[in-house]
Amino acid sequence: MSQSFSNNNNSFNIGNTFNYTAPDDEAKILAWLSPVEPWVRHRDIGTDRVDGIGAWLLETREFRRWHDATREDESNHATLFCDGNPGVGKSYIM
Amino acid sequence: MVLLICRDNSSLVIDRLCDEAGEENAVMCFYFDFAARNEQSPVNMLGSLLRQLVSELGGIPEAVVQDFRKQRKGIGGRGLQVAGILKMFQAITATKRMFICVDALDECVPEHRMVVLESLRQILQGSPGTRIFMTGRPQVRSEVEKRLDGAAVFISIQPTEDGVMGYLRDKLRNDTTPEIMSSALEAEIMKSLPEINSETYVGASAKEKLA
Repeated sequence: MSQSFSNNNNSFNIGNTFNYTAPDDEAKILAWLSPVEPWVRHRDIGTDRVDGIGAWLLETREFRRWHDATREDESNHATLFCDGNPGVGKSYIM
Repeated sequence: MVLLICRDNSSLVIDRLCDEAGEENAVMCFYFDFAARNEQSPVNMLGSLLRQLVSELGGIPEAVVQDFRKQRKGIGGRGLQVAGILKMFQAITATKRMFICVDALDECVPEHRMVVLESLRQILQGSPGTRIFMTGRPQVRSEVEKRLDGAAVFISIQPTEDGVMGYLRDKLRNDTTPEIMSSALEAEIMKSLPEINSETYVGASAKEKLA
């Protein structure tokens, strides 16, 4: 699946300018950007998740179209929204 | 460098994206939680996405360093605003394709949600290769449709029988008090719970029934 992007490698490649900062400055800048750490919640959900739950989603036409679309595609499928009532396991599919 | 959220390898969509991440993709995530609504302002949410992206680049981009230095000259506060974050997103060349995953959009308070969706729309506009994956309750669906200019596709999540059975088996296998579980009760659980016409299998109610 990852190959579907391979012919678009150059479309975004304008080049970044990086600034070489001291490591402690780097930590300060990252903390300045946001104090919130979503990977903690991500880890907790992962611990509680039963392997294989929701795997059907990856095979749906909607997911494949969202995932495989090339950069040149019109962006109609840029967002995939999974809706469901409380408790159906939405967080576990993310 | 291994993405922070890719270290655990225990989710579904994020796992799939992380497996392919390598040189091409940058995967970012955010989990809304109503209980944490005070700290989950649009600035902190979008700042968190930017922080994850910046962590991937192998160095802090000049545009971010400059903004950081400017605010240090100011008095008090973090001096960070949504518009500033969006500008930094724009200034950072997306040599990678961005995948942004957002959980429980309905748990973001309405006035924040409006800003978050508008910001995501602007990110999509500025970096058309970006892909956004979101989850939420059905009542925010029309808001997503409207705010993202119809650039969204929807899937309804419902528990499958396989999923329910897998979940029950896992819970029974990891029962912390196996001595009070008889095989008859176990069989009864496996038979009756999947028959209950409920949409709350994976969440708390199934856990309560097992407790």
